Amino acid sequence: MSDWTLPVIDLTKCNRCGVCVQICPTRALALTPQGPIFENPDACSYCTECEKMCPQGAIACPFQIGWASES
Amino acid sequence: MPSQTITDLRQVNLFAGLSDATLQQIAARVIQRTYPAGDAILQDGDPCSGVYFILSGQVRIYRLNADGREQVLVRMGAGQAFNTVPPLQSQACNHSYASAEGEVSAAILRNVDYVELLQTCPDFALTILHDFADRLDHLTNLVEDLGLRSVRARLARFLIEQADAGTLSRGWTQDEIAAHLGTVRDMVSRTLRVFNDAGLIRSQRQSILLLDRGGLEQEAKM
Repeated sequence: MSDWTLPVIDLTKCNRCGVCVQICPTRALALTPQGPIFENPDACSYCTECEKMCPQGAIACPFQIGWASES
Repeated sequence: MPSQTITDLRQVNLFAGLSDATLQQIAARVIQRTYPAGDAILQDGDPCSGVYFILSGQVRIYRLNADGREQVLVRMGAGQAFNTVPPLQSQACNHSYASAEGEVSAAILRNVDYVELLQTCPDFALTILHDFADRLDHLTNLVEDLGLRSVRARLARFLIEQADAGTLSRGWTQDEIAAHLGTVRDMVSRTLRVFNDAGLIRSQRQSILLLDRGGLEQEAKM
């Protein structure tokens, strides 16, 4: 399983409200006219707060589930 | 009838044992449709328009409460059928919502054609009965799960099932896990933390690694 990935943002659902940018505890996100981008991807801790707080359901933080011995 | 349709229909598990004659009758009546990812295929309570046989893709069947909280009843993939019950009922209304999780291609039988095939093709009727039996089994287990097991037990079992599925398992968000288990996101989040603190799992970036099968199986029995 991959060790590093970023939350997936669906820009078709995003209404550029900026909540994700405000809520991000590590300031990994920035808002552009096209929508939020990971301006500091290394800072993202995958805390899933952006997914939780997005009012449009535009952000997804999926988890792969597996046995530790197989990873 | 188009031979491509018969070829597509043979992919449907339910049709595996059907005679060529029955398959030809089905092929003469089905309409094929493709639904983009995220499309709403069925609305709960709407008049039933037909029975759907999935040719490719995955469909989420679910219900919503008044607050919009979702309970997933089942996820269905290629070879499976849904909305097989309403055409047999007098009110003939959809029982649930159905949504395309990726692009979905389906063969659709209108209510009247479905009922006619049940009446005239015994092999088709028997295969639908077998499907009803499997569906009843699944829903009975779901009722038992939701009624008799704690969220903690349901989550433990879910984690084991997904890990055992190996490469067939997909990525799950906490909201999706909550809808699948009949709970809310915060409960899933909290319970994952409890399991993590107990050394049963290790939650890390983008993955949940299961560490202790015995411990999780014990949790699943509670």
